[in-house]
Amino acid sequence: MKEGFRQAMAWLHTWTGLIFGWMLFAIFLTGTLSYFKDEISHWSQPEIQRHALDPAHSLGLAQRYLNANAGSAASWFIQLPSDREPAISVGWREPGQGRRGFVSKSLDAASGEVVQARESRGGDFFYRFHFQLELPHPWGRWLSTWCAFIMLLGLVTGIITHKKIFKEFFTFRPGKGQRSWLDGHNAIGVLVLPFHLMISYSSLVLFMYMVMPAGIMASYGGETNRYFSDLFGRDVDVSSAGVVAPMAALPSLYAKVQEKVPGARMGYIQVQNPNDQNARVSFTRASSDSVAYRRSQSWTFDGVSGALVSSGAPESAMMMTSFSFAGLHMGNFAGPWLRWLYFVFGVAGTAVIGTGLVMWLGKRQLKHAKSDCQPGELRLVEVLNIASMSGLLLAVAAFFWANRLLPVTLEGRADWEVNAFLWVWAASLLHAAVRPGRRAWAEQLGLGAIAFGLLPLLNGLSTGQGLNHAIAVGDWAMAGVDLTALGTGLFMAWLARKMLRVPAPAKKRAARPAAPGKVTAEAEAN
Amino acid sequence: MLSVALLGYAGFAALCLAMEKHFKELLKHSPRGVHLRSLRWAGWALLLASLVLAVHLRGWAHGLVEWIALLMAGVTLWVFMLPYRPRWLLGLAAVSVVLGPLLGLASLMR
Repeated sequence: MKEGFRQAMAWLHTWTGLIFGWMLFAIFLTGTLSYFKDEISHWSQPEIQRHALDPAHSLGLAQRYLNANAGSAASWFIQLPSDREPAISVGWREPGQGRRGFVSKSLDAASGEVVQARESRGGDFFYRFHFQLELPHPWGRWLSTWCAFIMLLGLVTGIITHKKIFKEFFTFRPGKGQRSWLDGHNAIGVLVLPFHLMISYSSLVLFMYMVMPAGIMASYGGETNRYFSDLFGRDVDVSSAGVVAPMAALPSLYAKVQEKVPGARMGYIQVQNPNDQNARVSFTRASSDSVAYRRSQSWTFDGVSGALVSSGAPESAMMMTSFSFAGLHMGNFAGPWLRWLYFVFGVAGTAVIGTGLVMWLGKRQLKHAKSDCQPGELRLVEVLNIASMSGLLLAVAAFFWANRLLPVTLEGRADWEVNAFLWVWAASLLHAAVRPGRRAWAEQLGLGAIAFGLLPLLNGLSTGQGLNHAIAVGDWAMAGVDLTALGTGLFMAWLARKMLRVPAPAKKRAARPAAPGKVTAEAEAN
Repeated sequence: MLSVALLGYAGFAALCLAMEKHFKELLKHSPRGVHLRSLRWAGWALLLASLVLAVHLRGWAHGLVEWIALLMAGVTLWVFMLPYRPRWLLGLAAVSVVLGPLLGLASLMR
């Protein structure tokens, strides 16, 4: 009975893992990159200079710019520079134009002038891809949420299937073919399990409103917007009085917030009806200041008199729980070293999926090792494995290369970067389909190694902000992307070399006929 | 937080050595029962100490998250480097077991 249950779970683990593994690999890899969203965006727009942080000064510059360029707008949005984002971001909505009329600009944090940066989606592309998969709304979100559910299912069935979770807690035996893959898969899965569970469960919490809307619909009917207003504690919009009135200086309001919560960093600053009798200025605390999103940490002022109108509503225990999961998932609160650990665990999650896919195929290919041709379905899995793993890495490299090589003034430049990503990914699928398995792996990994390895050089030559410059001026976001690319290149070169060599496990099996039976029997459990 | 990382790493190293198979492999002799039992106790005690220190230094929200992150990182390093550099890892564990409590005490004094 118990063994039957375990076998059923193993079956579920194996097959859901295969069908959704390719997509999960992409979701995890792009999600991992998203932990450095701002840093990648900074790399993608090297024209934006980093300056020492001076929030009050930057806010004054933002107000000056918006007054001069968007004095009659319906609302303003300001995001101050942070440790991770060097520019002042300002945006405004032209009156009566809805979502279409939104304009956004990046301002230099010291001078307040508009920075003419190259058009690029930067880190935001990977972030969006992570949960929207470049599919039309809402299909991408549905699919990625479904994948999150499969990941959670994979973890639970994996734990049930793993017979020696404690006995082999510290076990990793390299150089033993399938055995090592299984050890690696299990060890990364188990040792980093708290992260894996948190990340897949919290993604369901993030999209709870979409996956399980019954509760919201029962209480709010069709007015789901009201649910979000209540949840995030948004104020009711104040309509403009139509009477022009001079606004209070934003830095003075910022000082009032600082009096209440000394040292608080600011997220969005929103101004409704600027330069109107009914102007409202709201400050929201940056998500980097606490693990959970805190709706209570927001303050709305009368934009003319400068009086505090309202503060954010307090959170219930239930909200804190779900906001904590959201905060943990996105890791906005993480400082540099914890952010790197997030990145490493993200890579670990990607590796669990990757090793799983490799094992599924490896185990079945063993049965056909003697014959020259393998069944069509195995070949299909092989091609998809190659394209979804090494192909995706190539596509990421293509995005970065396109960012540096496309002419800065090209029309629709940001879209061309995305196109480069998608076309290279498609080409890798074609390449995998026409080349024999190991050769295809080696060629794609080798090309990826060159592409990533040379990226710092390309950056240095094309922008003059290569490693030597970035490290000298202490621009660690720029240098970090370059160094990570270099590391990725070396790792891919190492993998490519392994692929080029004669497969070692096959030799071993010939020498020791007793071993493979044992290996496959143990691997069978997974 | 370095003290938390070192204490956690030493804790997992002790828990690993508390398993007969790993003890024999790493220290090249057979353990007595009392060795394994004391290693197990020491391991759990070190993990608990690192938790207490993390929460004390950073509060529940950040402390708990950082504690789990450092523990996962430490044990992953241990398991995946063990086949390649066992002596380094044992050396690092020995350093951790001394330096971890010292740094921890120093940060409590401040």
